[in-house]
Amino acid sequence: MKKALALILALVMVLTLAACGGSSTDSEAQTPADEGDKTVKIGVLVSDVSGEEALGFRAYYEDYIAKNYNVTFTYTEQLEDAAAEKAAIEKFAAQGYDAILSLAASDRATQIETCEANGLYYAVVSGMLDDAQFEQYKGNEHFVGQIGPSMDTEYEAGYAMGQYFAQQGVKTVGIYGAFIPNPMHVYRTAGVLAGLGCTYGGASDKDGIAGQLFGDQGVDMSKVACGDIQIVGYFQGFGDTTFDELFAIIGQQPDAFLSVGMATTFFADSLNGANIPYSDIDSFTSGNAANMADGTLTYLAGKYSSSIGPIFAATLNAVNGNPIRDAEGNAISISQSYLVATDSATFDSIFNGDKGDSPIFSKDVLDTVIGAVSYDDFVKLVESK
Amino acid sequence: MDNEAILRKYKLRQKLINILPVAALAVLFTILVVTVQAKGYRLDMYLKIVFNEGVVLAVVATGAVFIYTLGSFDISLGASTLFSATMGVMTYNATGSLALMILVIFGAAVGCSLLSSVLASVFHIPVFVTTVAMMSVLSAIAAQIITTNGGAVGGISIPSALVKPLDNMGFKIAALAVFWLVCFFVFSFTKIGRRQKFLGGNPVCAQLTGIQVNKYAIIAFVMAGLGVGLGAFLTLVYTPSVTATTAGSIGMNIVVAIVFGGMPISGGPRSRIYAALVGGFSYILLNNILKLLIDSNIGYGVSQIVSAVFFLAVVYVTGLNYRSQMLPR
Amino acid sequence: MKASKKIIGTLAIPVITAAVLLILCAASGKSMIANRTGFNYFTLYAAIVMITTMALSINLNSGRFDFSLGAMAVLASVLSAKITYGLLSGGAGSAALMLCLNVVIGALLGLVSGGLYVTLRIPPIITSLGVTLIYEGVTFTITGGKYVMTEVRNASMTAFAGNWYWPALIILAVLAFIIYLFDHTRFGYDYKALQSGQKVAVNTGIREVPNALWCYVICGALMGVVGFLNVARSANINGGSLNFGSIGIMFTAFLPMFIGGYIGRFSNDKVGYLMAALCMSMLNSTFAAFSNEISASTQSIINAVLLVVFLIYLNNEGLLKKILSPRKA
Repeated sequence: MKKALALILALVMVLTLAACGGSSTDSEAQTPADEGDKTVKIGVLVSDVSGEEALGFRAYYEDYIAKNYNVTFTYTEQLEDAAAEKAAIEKFAAQGYDAILSLAASDRATQIETCEANGLYYAVVSGMLDDAQFEQYKGNEHFVGQIGPSMDTEYEAGYAMGQYFAQQGVKTVGIYGAFIPNPMHVYRTAGVLAGLGCTYGGASDKDGIAGQLFGDQGVDMSKVACGDIQIVGYFQGFGDTTFDELFAIIGQQPDAFLSVGMATTFFADSLNGANIPYSDIDSFTSGNAANMADGTLTYLAGKYSSSIGPIFAATLNAVNGNPIRDAEGNAISISQSYLVATDSATFDSIFNGDKGDSPIFSKDVLDTVIGAVSYDDFVKLVESK
Repeated sequence: MDNEAILRKYKLRQKLINILPVAALAVLFTILVVTVQAKGYRLDMYLKIVFNEGVVLAVVATGAVFIYTLGSFDISLGASTLFSATMGVMTYNATGSLALMILVIFGAAVGCSLLSSVLASVFHIPVFVTTVAMMSVLSAIAAQIITTNGGAVGGISIPSALVKPLDNMGFKIAALAVFWLVCFFVFSFTKIGRRQKFLGGNPVCAQLTGIQVNKYAIIAFVMAGLGVGLGAFLTLVYTPSVTATTAGSIGMNIVVAIVFGGMPISGGPRSRIYAALVGGFSYILLNNILKLLIDSNIGYGVSQIVSAVFFLAVVYVTGLNYRSQMLPR
Repeated sequence: MKASKKIIGTLAIPVITAAVLLILCAASGKSMIANRTGFNYFTLYAAIVMITTMALSINLNSGRFDFSLGAMAVLASVLSAKITYGLLSGGAGSAALMLCLNVVIGALLGLVSGGLYVTLRIPPIITSLGVTLIYEGVTFTITGGKYVMTEVRNASMTAFAGNWYWPALIILAVLAFIIYLFDHTRFGYDYKALQSGQKVAVNTGIREVPNALWCYVICGALMGVVGFLNVARSANINGGSLNFGSIGIMFTAFLPMFIGGYIGRFSNDKVGYLMAALCMSMLNSTFAAFSNEISASTQSIINAVLLVVFLIYLNNEGLLKKILSPRKA
């Protein structure tokens, strides 16, 4: 009897939960916020809560933008998968949020569809959809757009890094492929190989190399052919063997160590200690300033924290009824390049120029594109920095 | 106090303890409703979200109850869910057949489960260690498939339109109810459930009465496999894509859910088929309540601490009737 | 057992492993340990594996499953790194102070974990789930989910990681301490009695609760050392692990624990753990040498298959000997 009672209670509870939830219909979507004094509520999806770049972005939104505009940012916890991303968007919708800015990339297609279903504006921050996906969703009313490095930009960033060291006359290099098969790391690594003047499986172009790297899940050294430069070692990922692999390379005293991400977090100490010049694609932080000034970091391609300002402006405009669309009425898609520093002076000028209360995309700058603004003016501003 | 009064008091306490998990679910449900209302959020949406978050966990954990009843422990169910979903997506993308995709999902899930079971029972390897190895292998294979085929998108997916018609409460409730009722029937009204409880409670005695351990272990793993298969399918219904991290948190949450639902981790006669359902939803409700109440980034750490303390408190109280003089193992 | 058999039995697996791996490397024109730096990290990894295995086995051999080992190591490291940096600002002696603090804080965390277990008297596996969540939550709250880097990057730590004799010294010290404690003290005798017959041991007057508490304290202290060694190895601490993200460290210790247990038949199980750790470190160095050919996924699969194959052998040894031995006419 008591078991039956417990069971009935449990079932009633679960079914009530389901039934109440089921009563929601997609038609009950949020309406765009009215212009005026209403605080705009923006939810931010994140898959990285620890990285320097992620922390820099967060500080810009929470400490600068939120203080200068009538807007609140709510960050999610670290979203591990597509289901977590979708649930997070639905929770923001349930809490009456106006828009979603996404720094999480497990399933951007589902993110857009979920935002559309719930009437939330959506933008990709510091990244880009795959071309086919963008084509599919660019006409979506709630899709504000995307500003960030495209895969072409990632390739070019890697290429420029490789080319820089080749021009410096290095003869031996080690390469860290970060988290291949993460697409951006694949394209950066493809760029590094091409920039160093290497071919991969006979290919020397972006798609030829990147396509093979996806298939190989990394760099298969037997497929690499370089001219004068010798790649003394390659490794990727972060696990039990990582430091063995790093030190196998350090042991060969290469002229340079090229990383396509996270080296300044994981290996800065070891590389500085071994006096090996190294490069990374990361961000302009105080830690990296010290690595460049006192250590052996010689090349840093990075985003600056306020580079995510324009996408906020575009999203705010959309929420306030001033969406920025291109001539065909499609969402924004602007590729943003990396800034590069090869010496402390350049590094400091970028780093100090984008700090705290005086970011590159300051309120004054952003105000020029907040309100009714043309697509061309908006693009011009983004590309000017 | 006479013996009868002591007995009455003991029985009352036992009754209260037995209904505690369900009472906790009711209380948590009420708190969520009140919190959401007080904050002015949309209750209907919140309840739908909680149901969506809980349904996969409840389904997989309900199947896992059969394994836990035997006193065994399977840590690979999250990886099995990922692997099954991966195989399903690959099948659909190769054949374009939804029916075949579903078949492969269930086939892969039951196959993985059976492999664990066979390794454990035929080669006499401890079940837990077998499932640790299976977890590594299945995650690694799935990751390899996903990353090789995911390309620049980083994951593999089926067209969202394919499963969208099923992404509604009616279908999910029906799927949960049918699976749960089948499990309830097998667990409570057939000799399978009774014998599994016997085996979990006293394996030596059960074997001496002629019960075949391997047979019932295999049945338990098949039931768990069915739960994994349904869980993998429901995962795809909610989000039609699979990445290397899909279902990553399910593995350990199953243990938490089952224990939260009032079932002892040692299995045996006190095993309850409804434990996973009650515990799974309770755990999801608790986490959501805490995230509603504790804001900010740091709050995620604090809410996990509070959640863990609550979890330990519930397990402590539900286990009050079963204290032994020695320390439990 | 003859001394020669003991020596051969103890050294056989590491020697065979070394021979196989060296031949594999030589055949491919690679070297397992290329230079002194490689040897430094080989020793460091061997120390990490050996001490983690010991920490896991202390409670597991007594039927107490502890998921919180990883969380304990990380939390101990975060706290000691913050304190050390606060006191010495990364100056001379930072590594030594951090190691000492790691041991003390690890022991305290172990005491809390054990205290919860003996107070709540719920199965240790459940307690450890709760404790894992709590420690992860505390770590996240202290670090804000960020990497701890500045506090652990200094010349003192670099010097420690750059000299193989420091980890070697730690291996010897821990090995001697654990052998003395478990094989030559009253505590160790009680531990073994409780391990082989809990009820009988308790009935003969052995005090189980203090013994269990000490086990947790020792485990905690050992994981404190592991936490320190991990920091020395990677020069950062990831403070962002939530929802059981820290339990992975435990799974890496299963294979060496079983190998060590097997080798222990010929000498001492603790020496077995050292031998097994050397094997695992050799395997790790070989994986590193073959990193371009063997992906991380493949490494996981190889480790899991080795675990299963070894366990199949271990659990069917009698049967295998019977099958392989020449039949009598």
